[in-house]
Amino acid sequence: MAIMEENKSEYRLEMSGISKSFGIVSVLEDVNLRVKHGEIHALLGENGAGKSTLMKILSGAHQKDSGEVLLNGKEINPKNTHDGQVLGINVVYQELSLVNDLSVAENIYLHKLGANKFWMNWKKITQDAQELLDSLGFEIDASATVRNLSIVQKQVVEIAKAISEDTKVLVLDEPTTVFDPTDTQKLFDNLFKLKERGISIIYISHHLEEIFKIADTVTVLKDGVDTGSMPTSEIDTDGIIHLMIGRELKDLYPLRDVVVGDTAIFEVKNLTAKDTLVHDVSFCVKPGEVLGIAGLGGSGRTETAKLIFGAHRKKSGSIFLNGEKITTKSPVEAVEHEIGLVSENRKEEGVFLPLSIRKNISVTNFDSISSSLGFIKTDKEHDNVRGLMNKLNIKAPGSEVDVKNLSGGNQQKVALAKWLSIDSKVIIIDEPTRGVDVGAKVEIYNLINEVAKKGVGVIVISSDMPEIMGIADRILVMHEGTIYGELPKEKFSEENILRYSIGKALK
Amino acid sequence: MALTLKQQLSTPGGILKFLIKYNTIFIFLVLVIFSAVISDVFFTSVNLSNLLKQVSGIGIISVGMLIVILTGGIDLSVGSMVALLAVIFAIFVNLFALPLAILLTLVIGFGLGSVAGYLVAYQKMAPFIATLALMTVARGMGFIFSKGSPIRFETYGGLFMSNFANNSTLGVPNIAIVFFIIVIIATIMLKYNVFGRLVIAIGSNEEASRLSGIKVGKYKFLVYAISGTLAALAAIIVASRTNLGSPNMGLSWELDAIAAVVIGGASLSGGKGSVINTLMGVLILGLISNILNLLNVPSYPQQVVKGGIIIFAVLLQRFEKK
Repeated sequence: MAIMEENKSEYRLEMSGISKSFGIVSVLEDVNLRVKHGEIHALLGENGAGKSTLMKILSGAHQKDSGEVLLNGKEINPKNTHDGQVLGINVVYQELSLVNDLSVAENIYLHKLGANKFWMNWKKITQDAQELLDSLGFEIDASATVRNLSIVQKQVVEIAKAISEDTKVLVLDEPTTVFDPTDTQKLFDNLFKLKERGISIIYISHHLEEIFKIADTVTVLKDGVDTGSMPTSEIDTDGIIHLMIGRELKDLYPLRDVVVGDTAIFEVKNLTAKDTLVHDVSFCVKPGEVLGIAGLGGSGRTETAKLIFGAHRKKSGSIFLNGEKITTKSPVEAVEHEIGLVSENRKEEGVFLPLSIRKNISVTNFDSISSSLGFIKTDKEHDNVRGLMNKLNIKAPGSEVDVKNLSGGNQQKVALAKWLSIDSKVIIIDEPTRGVDVGAKVEIYNLINEVAKKGVGVIVISSDMPEIMGIADRILVMHEGTIYGELPKEKFSEENILRYSIGKALK
Repeated sequence: MALTLKQQLSTPGGILKFLIKYNTIFIFLVLVIFSAVISDVFFTSVNLSNLLKQVSGIGIISVGMLIVILTGGIDLSVGSMVALLAVIFAIFVNLFALPLAILLTLVIGFGLGSVAGYLVAYQKMAPFIATLALMTVARGMGFIFSKGSPIRFETYGGLFMSNFANNSTLGVPNIAIVFFIIVIIATIMLKYNVFGRLVIAIGSNEEASRLSGIKVGKYKFLVYAISGTLAALAAIIVASRTNLGSPNMGLSWELDAIAAVVIGGASLSGGKGSVINTLMGVLILGLISNILNLLNVPSYPQQVVKGGIIIFAVLLQRFEKK
């Protein structure tokens, strides 16, 4: 048996003494990571701790400065990701890397195209891909064009791509961010199957509850140094958080002590979309209130937010701000009515990656920092930006740093700062902490709390159930494009949210 | 990290990094020194003033091109627009008082640019296609209006323009002064005005701009209208220099303008680029032609050298990214 022969060394993968720096910035210092055969090994750490760099060295995307990588006891030195794949190291990155205009099957076998033969047997490739997808338990048509898939389906294809007969080490970087709990469970079932086949899995996630469900061993990175590995059974959430941020984290969610007003600051009635599944959505937000919107992926939460904000077209329904009827035919009109939207898709819709923090924050706020002819008052702009950077604790060497160089958490704060820069009356925050590390999460929760205290109506959309129960005063649950049920604080539970999400009544 | 110039230069490989970062200026200086060494005619006032006169027209449309490219668009129509507007200006100079002729030409330039702007911003047509179509239309209209042959200036207004365009003030050619004024205005608008900020924001992420409540359509419309207006200004200048408007003017100027912008380090996908670097790009292209002319190199080898320099400049910029 091939697997038995490989079992000469105890570990499938041994990375020892790995160091790497970019210019004068040291990213990894003497890091060790040992993964056994058929083990699910969780790699944890805050954004910027060096997880992605370590994985990129493993896959061949980056070259280490020093250290040694052994695969099945033999030293390997992949020069690029193709080398890595040939060795059986496959990585599913956080950013999707599919070719939109090719079919699902073509994407799955993309790395093999042209490898051996000049002619491809498309029929067989499509059949193979379909079998692979079916075996994963997700309903995806292998001949469909990737562009037409939902983001959840795209993520599944990305994972399918990384699983092949010769996979020895599979790295998953935040694979479940777009998944709802059912999809996540399906993924876990698949991971257990792979584990039985002897594949070693390195699993990166900010969702600690996932780690306890699936991981055998945990390694925590902090500031480019590993704080050691231990069996998952010997550590708890607090212990991991302590290792990750180096301090105790008692109150993940802030105390909600805001007095919620009586009359609605913001209300939508029978909102129905022209181009999406959203229909007959009605709700209101009171000043000082944090309203949560939960639901499965594809239930219309993001679409509802974009409909309110004027980014999608409306068919019918009305919107009221402070009791007055308003129209939001475009984002321009929504912003004029002081409604803000923090998009779930931070990099593509939320921030301007190549521009500085200053230019990002000012983009909504020119009325107050420029003269009537549009000339920018530099002092005023700097004061405003500096004030917001302090208030939001945006960690950067200065306001001129490009946003692409910031960690996910700091990028998200910049996206928020844009709307705090103008005094928004209503802020819709779609997935406030997706891809954000624990420390920054707490800061963002506190910020949401503070904003609500000032009387702003805050609407938070989230797939993270502990999060939405932790910060919202009231939760609306969406199902198939409309609001299926409303949960007051005393009825908050994961089970209740899930029941409404799948269109069932509460027990 | 923000390092001071001195710190930058003192780090290992600092000088190289510095040169790569300011590669456009570096190439420009190398070319100037090279030209001065190789030809003793180069540093004469006659030659330098000729050089400036030659680049002013393309320089002005390059500024417009830069603004369009900053939004992630492109304007292929400017070369043909120069031809059409030069013909129109020659006709107007012979018909109306000079100020009216200038004003009308600029307004028509704005109008033609607006057509491109409308198609791109509100009909969502790809900039390449919309301006390609306008390029053909404008060139054709130039031939129709001029009946295929150049139209000469025949009035005192025309004479005045011709004098203005061929003379200098304090040693600097008047048309170069016009070009420099445009450069200064554009620098101020892009650096210190909301207009520039939003143009760059749109180019670096159009969807994020839309979701920030920016009137994306309005600004995309405006950049093409500005590009058209600048094409009209360039047309007035080149027509005045030669005392006539010809439908053959501005041939492939759009390509030279794009080359100047790209040599200046701008990204064709938008969001990155500066007027000063575009000015350097314009001067580099002008210098290459100038020195090759002084060395009596014929025009076909000149094209080969120009292409080579463009590739070299863009390769240098890739080093900068690394």
